[in-house]
Amino acid sequence: MKKFLALALVASLGMAVPSAQAHHSFAMFDRTREVTITGTVRQFQWSNPHAYIQLAVPNPQGGGATEWSLEMGSPMYLYSRGWRPRTLRPGMEVRVRLNPLRNGANGGVVLEVLDMQGNSLGTNQVGAPQ
Amino acid sequence: MKAAALALAMALGLPSAPAMAQDEAPSRAEQFAQLPYFPGYWVSLGQEGTTITGLAPALTDNPNVDINAIMPLRANLAAWNEEGQRRVAEVRAAAGGRKALGWGFPMMMNCATPFQILITPEEVLISNAYNETRHIYTDGRPMPDELDMWPTTWGTSVGHWEGNVLVIETAMVKDPSLFFHGAPPFSEEARYVERIHIDGDRLISEFTVTDPVTLNEPYHATVTYVRDQGFDRMIQVDWDNDRTGNDGEFNTIEATAVGD
Repeated sequence: MKKFLALALVASLGMAVPSAQAHHSFAMFDRTREVTITGTVRQFQWSNPHAYIQLAVPNPQGGGATEWSLEMGSPMYLYSRGWRPRTLRPGMEVRVRLNPLRNGANGGVVLEVLDMQGNSLGTNQVGAPQ
Repeated sequence: MKAAALALAMALGLPSAPAMAQDEAPSRAEQFAQLPYFPGYWVSLGQEGTTITGLAPALTDNPNVDINAIMPLRANLAAWNEEGQRRVAEVRAAAGGRKALGWGFPMMMNCATPFQILITPEEVLISNAYNETRHIYTDGRPMPDELDMWPTTWGTSVGHWEGNVLVIETAMVKDPSLFFHGAPPFSEEARYVERIHIDGDRLISEFTVTDPVTLNEPYHATVTYVRDQGFDRMIQVDWDNDRTGNDGEFNTIEATAVGD
């Protein structure tokens, strides 16, 4: 997995998040690692209990892309933070800051989504730089 | 006509017209006007400010946060008896990778999903953004006969007003942990009493749960609710894409399932 990621380890958050605050435990994500990936939106699932971004991330050595599953909060909270089902459309290129899955699979929980001009999407005013 | 009616009333020893009006039941509009009003979209205090990540600052900004203070309706601190402890251990052991069906009662009253309270003279409705609804009858009816009830995820509720406090009694709730694995495994014999009132811009609920099957003594919890930013209408979205999985060691995200 580590070979093909166009990612950068950014910061150590050093936080433990109790389980079951959301509908499942956040222990599945490594909250001590922050990763940034860039790719093309294949699908944006506006669904409960979580929304998901399916992002095609180009393999650094060439030869196609690897798909990541990126989890977000529920649609009602995304809506309240300025997101809409059409905020992301297939084919859009975006940069995503995330905490990766602890098991090393191609996935994580989204901290922030930026367009290629560096603008943060939505109004995720809490917990992310603007 | 008025004078004739008044004379007749006097002759019969009846109270005069204004006094008769006072004895009449208030109109429905008058009943509405006398009721408290809890407008807004409420989330429990510790969930306020939840980001697109799905976590609230109360959790991410404080490494020593006490989950029991934020989600007291998980009842981690309840006085579980032997059967209760057995159930808690069983539910927690099976929680890894388990999918949920929604919040259910009582967890829908303590989660990050906003709910709305609609108050009428006859009934109070509490509904959330996961399409979960509680019907609380406040028209004076008693709790239905046990033979007319059966266990459901949200139970059967009746309520009444004590001044500005809404008192709700709920019975026949299915073991809440069947619907959501983070919920307490109370039995179907549990009785839940909520006392809800508004205090400034906050809503306060005092919960008491009694359960002869799983508890040594009643469990008490207080949940405070606030109106979070950004909600301007209730948008109900199906719970149809729980991708929680488990690889044998860690929870993970299952392969995509919607519209693929």
